[in-house]
Amino acid sequence: MSESSPEGEDPGRAERLGRWLENTLLAAVLFAMIGLAATQVVMRSAFGGGVAWADEALRLLVLWAAMLGAIAASRDNVHLRIDLLSRFLPGAWRRLAAVLVDLFAAGVSAVLAWYSWRFVAESREFGDQVLGDWPAWAFQAILPAAFALIAYRYLAGLHKHFRRHLPATGTDPA
Amino acid sequence: MLAGLAMLLLALLGAPLFAIIGAGALLGFARSGVDLTAVPIEIYGIAETPILLAIPLFTFAGYVLSESRAAARLVRLSAALIGWLPGGLAMVAVATCSLFTAFTGGSGVTIIAIGALLFPALVQAGYSERFTLGLVTSSGSLGLLFAPSLPLIIYGIIAEVSIDSLFLAGIVPGVLMMLALAAFCLLRNRDNRRPLAEFSWREVRAAIRESIWELPLPVVVLGGIYSGYFAVSEAAAVTVVYVLIVESLIYREVPWRRLPGIVRDSMVLVGGILLILGISLASTNYMIDAQVPQQLIELVTSRISDQVSFLLLLVGFLLLIGCILHIFSALVLIVPLMLPVAERYGVDPVHLGIIFVATMELGYLLPPIGLNLYISSYRFNRPVMEVCIATLPFILILLVAVLLITFVPALSLALVPK
Repeated sequence: MSESSPEGEDPGRAERLGRWLENTLLAAVLFAMIGLAATQVVMRSAFGGGVAWADEALRLLVLWAAMLGAIAASRDNVHLRIDLLSRFLPGAWRRLAAVLVDLFAAGVSAVLAWYSWRFVAESREFGDQVLGDWPAWAFQAILPAAFALIAYRYLAGLHKHFRRHLPATGTDPA
Repeated sequence: MLAGLAMLLLALLGAPLFAIIGAGALLGFARSGVDLTAVPIEIYGIAETPILLAIPLFTFAGYVLSESRAAARLVRLSAALIGWLPGGLAMVAVATCSLFTAFTGGSGVTIIAIGALLFPALVQAGYSERFTLGLVTSSGSLGLLFAPSLPLIIYGIIAEVSIDSLFLAGIVPGVLMMLALAAFCLLRNRDNRRPLAEFSWREVRAAIRESIWELPLPVVVLGGIYSGYFAVSEAAAVTVVYVLIVESLIYREVPWRRLPGIVRDSMVLVGGILLILGISLASTNYMIDAQVPQQLIELVTSRISDQVSFLLLLVGFLLLIGCILHIFSALVLIVPLMLPVAERYGVDPVHLGIIFVATMELGYLLPPIGLNLYISSYRFNRPVMEVCIATLPFILILLVAVLLITFVPALSLALVPK
């Protein structure tokens, strides 16, 4: 086998970069969360009280971890689902169902991204603040960003359902 | 109505649940003329629920534990302690699986981490392959009733009941399910009571020395939570730091360079769970606005008058749900609707949580989607059908335990302070 990649295609620098970025951000958020939460426990046990802003910061970190995790879950295609029928469908119908399902997921994510964007814009207009005097919109911005990326992920994955349909000549080393 | 049917079809075809619930919430709010920014505002509620902190922390700690050889040490220690009993190895399986599942939150890693160790050992000790397959598969979801189980935490958040009470209420029912399985193991293997090994202090000492760093963990975490010294999220923070220090620095079984991958795997699960939790905050809010729970109460009370029939129906319904929904999805979708109905029949919300999680534990074993069936089939290289058949007697035993838990509320509520 001279062909190294079974798909006949490099997994792509964008894919590697995206995955690396997700992993790095997730690790940064999670370890910040662990450090801060542990500090709070020590402070409470030793001095009877923690840092005032830490609890709010921890809640924001949980939101970021959740949304970054959701973005990563879309890349790995492991969102919770039921999937009872599609395994009983014959090949062509199954592909059609997969396309429909991904379009639907992309559509809902896009609508959620749009209204999240409006939510963030309004919050910016009103000058909402978190953690003392930080602008809330900067922290809330993860919502539209995440839903937009998730929508993109489902659209970008659409072509996979068609590829297996193509004649094999495209990747044939002949 | 048409939109509802279309969404049901899409769900059955495998659309991600967050999109289904999200579409439901968006459509509902749009129809009643509410500005749709209400949906992201509800999702932002993730950042306004302090207890959620426990979920990423415990999940990550569980993933790190399952990457280390903690499972092997746990099996060795319990084999040294109770392996000499007749049928001892089967009981080792039940006990270690429960403890490990409680700490890893029911994501299916127990079968991979512990089942893989026990399967060959059990077969070698003379248990039939089919029995072993069933035992390992069904033990893989035991323990979800013990602290710090994720499903109980999530139930507490959704139902707005004290998580400490839920943890206390889960103890007796959890032990009951363990005993039911252990008793079944003894009964089925009357003729094979060859003990695993002679009891030996030397082996006990060696096993303790080997796991000396991990032994304090359950004591600190469970003691801390059950005694009320730690809040649940504090216990989670302690667990994570402790597990990282022990597995990465002391045992050096989880090198730092592996951590980013473990972070990703665990946070993908957390993201999936919290996303549907956040979105379902919105859909629940809409359903309450639309008085769906009231309609459901009227529908049910017009047909069912007494608590006993209601509870029977409830368990049957949950088993059905368990066949098609994973426990986390079922929690966010079903609990908000079921809770007011159950309260109408005088079911205590804490008791309801225990019924829910105990029944959904069985859901892990039910075809067509039961997670444990597929993990076992994959891990032990057996057809899913064979795993199903092997697991069937265990399901029936656990079902008896679930019915006891359902109809004897004192099992759950006796330990809970009023």
